[in-house]
Amino acid sequence: MFKLNSKLIVSASVITAAALFTAGCMDMGAKPAGANAATAADIAGGVIYPIEDGMTGPYYVNEKAMNMKLNHGRVPTANELDAWNRDVMPDGTGLPEGEGSVEEGEELYEAKCVSCHGDFGSGGGGYPSLSKGNAVELQQTLTNNRWRDPEADGPTRVFGSYWPKASTMWWYIRDGMPHPKSKTLTTNETYALTAYMLNINEFEIDGEEVDDEYVLNREKFLKIKMPNEKGFEPNIDGPNALNDVRAYYANSANFGAKKVNPSERCMTDCQEKTAVVTRIENGGISEFNPPMSVVRDLPEAKKEALDAKSAYANNCAMCHDTGVAPPPGDKDGWSSYLSKGMDAVYKNGIDGTESGMPPKGGSSLSDADFKKVVDYLINGK
Amino acid sequence: MDNNKSQKDLEISDRRDFFKKTAALGVSALAGTSLMASEDDKAIMHHVPWGQTWGDPVTKNLYGMPSKYEHNVTRRYTKLLASGNYRASIAVTPIHESEGIITPNGLFFSRSHGGVAHIDPNQFRLMIHGLLEEEIVLTLDQLKRYPSVTRTHFIECPANGGQEWRGPQFNSLQFAKGFMASASWTGVYIKTILEDLGIKPEAQWMLAEGSDNSEMGRTVPIDKVLDDAMIVWGQNGEALRPEQGYPVRLLLPGWEGNLCVKWLKRLEFAAEPWYCKEETSKYTALKPTGKAIQHFYANEVNSTVVSPSPEKPWTDLEDGDVIEIEGLAWSGMGTITGVDISLDGGMNYVEASLKGLVLPKSWTRWSYMHTFKKGEKLILASRAMDDAGYIQPTIDEEVAIMGVESVYHRNAVETWEVTAEGKVNHVQLRTPGGVKNV
Repeated sequence: MFKLNSKLIVSASVITAAALFTAGCMDMGAKPAGANAATAADIAGGVIYPIEDGMTGPYYVNEKAMNMKLNHGRVPTANELDAWNRDVMPDGTGLPEGEGSVEEGEELYEAKCVSCHGDFGSGGGGYPSLSKGNAVELQQTLTNNRWRDPEADGPTRVFGSYWPKASTMWWYIRDGMPHPKSKTLTTNETYALTAYMLNINEFEIDGEEVDDEYVLNREKFLKIKMPNEKGFEPNIDGPNALNDVRAYYANSANFGAKKVNPSERCMTDCQEKTAVVTRIENGGISEFNPPMSVVRDLPEAKKEALDAKSAYANNCAMCHDTGVAPPPGDKDGWSSYLSKGMDAVYKNGIDGTESGMPPKGGSSLSDADFKKVVDYLINGK
Repeated sequence: MDNNKSQKDLEISDRRDFFKKTAALGVSALAGTSLMASEDDKAIMHHVPWGQTWGDPVTKNLYGMPSKYEHNVTRRYTKLLASGNYRASIAVTPIHESEGIITPNGLFFSRSHGGVAHIDPNQFRLMIHGLLEEEIVLTLDQLKRYPSVTRTHFIECPANGGQEWRGPQFNSLQFAKGFMASASWTGVYIKTILEDLGIKPEAQWMLAEGSDNSEMGRTVPIDKVLDDAMIVWGQNGEALRPEQGYPVRLLLPGWEGNLCVKWLKRLEFAAEPWYCKEETSKYTALKPTGKAIQHFYANEVNSTVVSPSPEKPWTDLEDGDVIEIEGLAWSGMGTITGVDISLDGGMNYVEASLKGLVLPKSWTRWSYMHTFKKGEKLILASRAMDDAGYIQPTIDEEVAIMGVESVYHRNAVETWEVTAEGKVNHVQLRTPGGVKNV
């Protein structure tokens, strides 16, 4: 079906193994009427619904729409590819030549970043911290977990202590920063800001401290060792990555999920004996905008200035523009009505008349606004 | 006739009084009715204003709006999640007001990393390139010429419930579980386009990149691309809303909302992954071992009671009232196969009934009929299962593996206390300090 047969063979063998693994769960048999059941595991530990008898799961598909040469679009030009293919990968793919110093970076940071990210990247105002101190030391806090002692320090997850790759920072500074005006930094400015990030996180590159005098360039950048590079699972690097990911999610214990044969699931005495009812403390988080309400009432009226002309068009024109009643500014047409005085004209308009004028023309305008529409009708402006 | 007249004379003083009152209220009694007794409902006994005047002309609201009386049914936000001056932030869906398995487009939760972009569809381009036999650039019209499919799927932020690893925080269903919504999506399977282009065997990963201010990007494994990944432009029968990535977003059914990149501009295929910001610094789940799960794709099986809720409690019920306990169940791993309900906080369960359409990777409604006893305290808990073989863990079971610092993918059984007064509170059943690895 695809031009990647070698990959499909790899996938198929994994799927077969995974299907055996989940086979015990398939006899729960809650297949909706007319729908095809799932048959195999996907890479994330879920199931897939292959197309069988023209259906995938409960959905019909047009199998004739598959494997067609459709000939839409066009081939991008080399310049177009260069313009958009700007991602920066950990091996340096996409990382341009250039250089910038810590000193220049600090200057840029003070000018363009500090208002959100705080002094020395300390964070605040809802913007992330960029540093909390020495990256290598703070990486050790990642095993901190407040599940035993709520008062203990939690883990510190900032660029230096947590991120697996430095390329992410370079790429994101250039394309996503400064947040209100992104994609305005030059290559050298991006190197300078990255150098400053390394400085405040107290990095060394190739044994050399990234001090205030340090000048970062592409060659040095590619030698950065992130303290937490090995801190992530499953493995996603190298030619065997997808098999590693499949294997990881085939074991529910790896990611806190729970598998069960439905017929053997717990129905009585299912809680741990030590579990107690835990309530929200100190009112919890309750500052909601807009404030929580399930009342069905009318919203507070918005004080919008009346546009008499559009109110006329929406409510009156279907009669007054079609000869049933006098149109706006028609002095002759209005003269017989005006002879009774303006108050009478307003009253007839508001109450409606026997001859067919609906109250307020069928509008929901206030009396005061309706009178302005009447004025527009008579004066034509 | 005479008889009638004398009858009228007898009533006339009362009727005058009555009309005076009703005139003050701006309503009039229905023709043929006479006196209104105290047990009669004014909403029935009187003409209503909308029954005696013209309604709006069809020329009004050419794009329809909800009733003005529904103005409290909105997305909501909180300062706690105000990151980036509300440009790297979230506004959540009022699931306590949600009906069925479709969220109206205006109530679909809104999450962005650089604000909601407003894209000129005439300037939209989608570039698909990298380890392919042919590379391509498409306009919106060209993209829409591919054979389309329409699928109902929820999208859930993997931080749904992520504020409550260490204990309950939100006494609100909207905030406790509303980092998700569901829609009927229309688009094209990416595999349909790739069949056309041809993919090289060494391609293992796809980068999906947005054109928004944050250039939001994520790496997707080829397995998902060739399974059910879609490029979508339709949401509940109309164009995507700007908040959902107008004109085009990626949809990876069942997987983290963050992976479903909005304002999509580029798909690139490569042998190695990219390590984007939102798959390293965030959207990684730190375990007590100090290792963090990266590329944590599927939202696991989950459920919650949606009625009653803290927002819509049972305080007006009478003893003996038969009432439906209703809920939602969903799984990014497959199709919901069953939901159990507990009235005692997850100690003992009985089976609830599934309702309506039961679709893969979709919200699924469930129901259980309950007889309300005045003064009875309950702790409602629901526990869903899916056809991939998963069941929701207890909080203690999940915390034993994930700890309390992982932020993402919390799918333990959720509990809602019903007090003696019928009020509803969000609570958790858990062992203080957690349990040993189970």
